[in-house]
Amino acid sequence: MTATETRTPPLSPRTARLALSGSAALVLLGIGAVWWAASHAVPESTEGEIAVTINDAVCDPMALTVPAGKSTFRIHNASNRVLEWEILDGVMVVAERENIAPGLNSTLTERLKPGTYDITCGLLSNPRGTLTVIPTAESQAAISAPEMRTFIGPLAEYRVYLNRRASALVKATAALSDRIEAKDLDGARAAWIEAREPWRQMAPVAGRMGDLVNRMDPLAIYLQGQESDPAFAGFHRIEYGLWAQNSTDGLAPVAAGLAADAVELQTRIKALELTPPDLAANAADLARRVADQAAGGQVPYSQTDLTEFTADLEGITRSAMLVDPLVAAANSATSAALHQAIEATQATLTGFAVDGVYPPFSEVDAGGRKAISASFETLSTAIAALNPAIGLE
Amino acid sequence: MRTVTLAAVAGLLATTGAHAAEPLDLVGPVSDYKLFVSEQTDLLVDETEAFVAAVKAGEVEKAKALFAPTRQHYEMIEPIAELFSDLDVAIDSRADDYEKAEADPAFPGFHRIEYGLWEHNSTEGLDPVADQLLTNVKDLQGRIESLPFPPEVVVGGAAVLMEEVAATKISGEEDRYSHTDLWDFKGNFDGSQKIVELVKPLIADQDPAFIKQIDANFEVIDVTLAKYEEGDGYVTYDKLTDQDRIKLAAAVNALAEDLSTLRGKLGLD
Repeated sequence: MTATETRTPPLSPRTARLALSGSAALVLLGIGAVWWAASHAVPESTEGEIAVTINDAVCDPMALTVPAGKSTFRIHNASNRVLEWEILDGVMVVAERENIAPGLNSTLTERLKPGTYDITCGLLSNPRGTLTVIPTAESQAAISAPEMRTFIGPLAEYRVYLNRRASALVKATAALSDRIEAKDLDGARAAWIEAREPWRQMAPVAGRMGDLVNRMDPLAIYLQGQESDPAFAGFHRIEYGLWAQNSTDGLAPVAAGLAADAVELQTRIKALELTPPDLAANAADLARRVADQAAGGQVPYSQTDLTEFTADLEGITRSAMLVDPLVAAANSATSAALHQAIEATQATLTGFAVDGVYPPFSEVDAGGRKAISASFETLSTAIAALNPAIGLE
Repeated sequence: MRTVTLAAVAGLLATTGAHAAEPLDLVGPVSDYKLFVSEQTDLLVDETEAFVAAVKAGEVEKAKALFAPTRQHYEMIEPIAELFSDLDVAIDSRADDYEKAEADPAFPGFHRIEYGLWEHNSTEGLDPVADQLLTNVKDLQGRIESLPFPPEVVVGGAAVLMEEVAATKISGEEDRYSHTDLWDFKGNFDGSQKIVELVKPLIADQDPAFIKQIDANFEVIDVTLAKYEEGDGYVTYDKLTDQDRIKLAAAVNALAEDLSTLRGKLGLD
């Protein structure tokens, strides 16, 4: 038993209730809170718990050290105010216990990662204590091979991103269809460019849905009859009409089909189940495909390739960066190479902009195209190194 | 607390031989929860803009009318909003957190404005507080957007919301000047219920008795709160009868206890 515990004898729920009802201010708390506090008054320290007492202005002790993993803290409120106790990582709350009544104890169990944290000690203006979490063999092993649960957050975040992009695509393709129906050539061109952005941002996963890609995004050069091939549909068929033929003629059914396919894509994205290695692997694959396409371009009629590459980079970055915090902990050089490759690719692309606007891709010479290809190639290699760094193969 | 004991027994029986959900089964619920929080945060920003405009225009009655519905969105997303300690303090701290209570110049946010509107029936001196509130709410929106949600916080949030109501709200201390506590409760309950709805499919087969009990307690809350509806919101908290307060407290306490086992059931302890 520590000195603190000797000074403050254990409170039974009954004494706790009496102590609460004795305080004029706390009488106002009402039945529920008293019930709550009384049923949650916990006895004094138990084996294996870390005791911390909060006095009027300080924590006792002010510095705690625990091994990584699950720890249980027993917080004793020796101040005269109701308080909350928080473990903070910068401004982020890692764990907290609220409403610890004066004289009472509360426990908090949390799994903690190695690092240095702040602990709060009563009033907001009171100085904070520190909590040092030291690595264990288990926590070290988890760095190079994170547990499956570590990927729930990143995968959920990516699912949010894809769902939002899919919903943007549905809206934008509907707008494109609308402008084509209205025979508004300029409006249709603007709507087409807008719809391409979410489409390209989703390419790391949409590219894997072969049947949809073949309907929504086939290139004439890969079709037997080129532009006159009946299978020439989707985005590029519309692009061909809007830019090569300067007309919306005959595009209405194509645009309606594209909009319907976008809805189908959205449904599939919602049902999609990605696994941890997909985040980096899909991004690396797309970067490699873009590197291959950069010499010839991917939007032959509108020549808006630089805009497309920018959207590709955004989609690739989103996906890869979700595993980056894990990679950074396991292998900082691999993470640094990723950051460098992303920045370099971004710089290569923005280098072509004139007054913030991309020129037609026809104005980018062979050397420029080679530079774009090379930067996506490097990016792909940097992303391909992520999974091995965190035990995902 | 007979119900709790029964739940514990039922839980024990149900978990025997049952397997925990696979970790990646939580990807869907966590991402759907982020979409929900994101929607609520957008509403919080929009409505805070209107609330702040009313305060700054000196429209006391309008500001009073907007106070509770605006806050409700914050209460709904509290498990996530509370992660940002600096903003939580700036947006939602109470006078008790400050040495000089209401008189403390550092006392900020919703409750500082609430104090001015109801205790002084005035917007005097509230302009900078209101401006800062809007800045902070927008900052919160940005931070929530870029935060991958920790699954432990999402799943644990269902119980956290109930514990907060049980521990620091059922007493009516949260909105002590305006007595609009029932709006906050509704936000907390809806926020908790949303989380439960999202993870329910992962435990329904394994633990039907647990789900049944939780649903029954949410039902008690819904029915009890519904008695106090008025217009688009609720009557003031002092109108709640002792009997209903006890009923609410019992349901909330039972839910806080039951929902605190969710993390464990989903393999997140």
